[in-house]
Amino acid sequence: MDGKKRRQKILIVDDSEMNRSILVDMLGEEYDTIEVENGLMAVSELQKRAGEISLMMLDIVMPLMDGLEVLEVMNRRRWIETVPVIMISAETNSDKISQALEMGVTDFISRPFDAKIVQRRVLNTLLSSAKQAELENLVAEQIYEKEQNSLLMIDILSHIVEFRNGESGLHVVHVRRLTEVLLKQLASKRPDYELSAGKIALISEASALHDIGKIAIDEKILNKPGRLTNEEFQIMKQHSSIGAQMLDGLGVHQGEPLVRIAYQICRWHHERWDGRGYPDGLKGDDIPIAAQVVAMADVYDALTSERVYKSAFSHEKAIEMICNNECGSFNPVLLECLMEVSDTMQEELKSPEVKESAGESISSMVEKMSHHSELAASNRTLQLLEHERMKYSFFAAMSKEIQFEYTISPSMVSLNAWGARNLGLDEVVMDPLENQKVGKYLSEDLRAQLHDVLMSATPEEPIVTLEGKMEKDGVKKWYRFVMQALWSEDEPPELRGAIGKAVDIHSSRSYLENLERRASMDQLTGLLNLTSAQSQAEARLKENPEAKYALAFFDCDYFKDANNTYGHLFGNRLLVHIAERLRQVTRSGDIVSRAGGDEYIIFIQYHQELEPTIQRIYGALHGEDFGGFSISISMGIATTVQVGPDFTELMGAADRALYAVKQAGKGQYKFFEGNETSLVKSRGESVYTNQSEIIDFTPEE
Amino acid sequence: MTLQECYAKLEGDYAAVSSRLPSEKFIQKYVLKFAEDKTMELLEEAWQNGNFDEAFRAAHTIKGMCQNLSFARLEKSSSALTESLRGGKSPKAEELLGQVREDYALTADTIKEYKAGL
Repeated sequence: MDGKKRRQKILIVDDSEMNRSILVDMLGEEYDTIEVENGLMAVSELQKRAGEISLMMLDIVMPLMDGLEVLEVMNRRRWIETVPVIMISAETNSDKISQALEMGVTDFISRPFDAKIVQRRVLNTLLSSAKQAELENLVAEQIYEKEQNSLLMIDILSHIVEFRNGESGLHVVHVRRLTEVLLKQLASKRPDYELSAGKIALISEASALHDIGKIAIDEKILNKPGRLTNEEFQIMKQHSSIGAQMLDGLGVHQGEPLVRIAYQICRWHHERWDGRGYPDGLKGDDIPIAAQVVAMADVYDALTSERVYKSAFSHEKAIEMICNNECGSFNPVLLECLMEVSDTMQEELKSPEVKESAGESISSMVEKMSHHSELAASNRTLQLLEHERMKYSFFAAMSKEIQFEYTISPSMVSLNAWGARNLGLDEVVMDPLENQKVGKYLSEDLRAQLHDVLMSATPEEPIVTLEGKMEKDGVKKWYRFVMQALWSEDEPPELRGAIGKAVDIHSSRSYLENLERRASMDQLTGLLNLTSAQSQAEARLKENPEAKYALAFFDCDYFKDANNTYGHLFGNRLLVHIAERLRQVTRSGDIVSRAGGDEYIIFIQYHQELEPTIQRIYGALHGEDFGGFSISISMGIATTVQVGPDFTELMGAADRALYAVKQAGKGQYKFFEGNETSLVKSRGESVYTNQSEIIDFTPEE
Repeated sequence: MTLQECYAKLEGDYAAVSSRLPSEKFIQKYVLKFAEDKTMELLEEAWQNGNFDEAFRAAHTIKGMCQNLSFARLEKSSSALTESLRGGKSPKAEELLGQVREDYALTADTIKEYKAGL
């Protein structure tokens, strides 16, 4: 990288002059901008300077060539790998958006443009693409390291060739150097050749092996001072395929990238662009680029060196001869590269590194090795990252959790593989709220709850949880949703979405529900306890305060005596018996509870006459003989018509009525009247009078 | 007429635009630019020639500009028109164009009036 900090270039592609101009105004201070007004112009701009463009902002709907077509071209030419793209369309069509995503778009900025958001997203994208480039370099280093083992082999093999060949040791070094220079030039021109830093290093190293096949050629032919006869030339030509065979026989190293590339170079470095080379007569880009470049470097060095059969040509003459196709025929773009580096390459070849190393021997190997240890740290980092990634995907698969990432704009959900399989959804779902399959899982109610809980998250407490029922396979099951809300880095932060998981908690939740039900019940009778009866009654009062409700509060007269005389077990059986009676005479909608001891309450809704209902209930309970104990009931009744829709008021009033019954001699029921200090008013036949206070019974046992 | 009054008259959302764009000057620049924009003419022309592909793009462009400037009224009608032209002209398109014409005229006239008072 050069010391001067260059401003990054942003290519803005939009047919609306105004939109482009707004973006230029927002970004112009920080970056260089290039504006074009349709896809065609964008492509030609990329063609001219894909290497210089750090970021492209692309509209979708445009004349001549639209944004999606631009992306298609970028994919075909592989520009998409080096030029990150932010979509800036007003497009809301989710098909188009998901298409764009599939074609490698990095981010979306929706209209209307917000200055701060635009600046932030652009910066983020530039940063992350820089990070990506850095990572790619790390990987290149790692590959390079692996190849080190093979380098010694290369050195030995290529020196054997030189030794036999009588060529100066410099030839191999020159070819390597030239190959590298040409490849670097080519890389920026033609991304489709995929010439990463690692690959360039690999090809340059492998270039040293281009002539190893010469080991098998008779020395007399190899070092013949004059022109070769036709027959001798046929033999000489075999060196390329022989070299390839030698590498083929390497066994252990088969499949290593270095060996694969060396194979290409050995076999095809005498092929010609026009198809008239040997051994296979390959044509054009059918010849691997590694072989094309080495062929050119080989020819140049042969021309400019003195050989047994010729004197050296000048640099200028050599370039001229190559460009005039006097020494073969080459890829036009490679000829362009050669001319472009022509001025600097002589200097390159004279650089101390090249001069000094007549054999790139032990000292430079040592240097490489030591240079190498610096890389160890980054390799370790990579390994750790890889390790973390594996660990993560392993646990993600094992945990049987549905993990998801939700972004609001564009509206999409991505699921982990297990979750997608489990739900029968795609791993990426665009517009999930509109999606029918998703809709099946998320009822409107659940959706609203999730929305609310997500909105309740704050940057200080970004993690929220919700338990809700999700319908799965036709059954509503409990899931726990744990989500971490995500915000933009803007000020104030804008909610961008959430990552989270949904865990099936149905069995544990059912267990809890069961416990809850048990906790709400009276253990002995199975009726509701007072607390839960109260909360259920209050819920109904709240739900429908206009309706008429009555509360009957009663106890069993002389219960203490029964307990004392017959024992607690008898008392308990009596309580259970009363509960059973109550179940028989009440409707399922009534709330029936054992309030404690021998006290019970009944909470009922009524419409016209209340008294017949009370009569029926009272009649079913009072006066029955239970194991010799004649059951006597005292009951007070109050209604919401009298005291209003308030449970405590109802209880209080019913209790006062009950107290009045007790005062008046028990064994009766009485409606609350508001003047409960007075004696029970005779209610004619509606007042049940206990026949006798002294109960005539025979013990059960 | 202030810029805010101009927005009120053309039924735009001044609060929204000023929260997004850096300064009043910035907004003013593009409001004035809008009046000189030729996309509406392009839309009319495409319509007359029966080129509804191009008409769709033009409506789309107008919608995009309106979004950026928070011209709520024109955005609403141009957005509806865009949708009615997506993938070919739908029966409602004719009527929606009428609405866009009306809203566009209101917008352009208001900006001209605002400009004259500067």
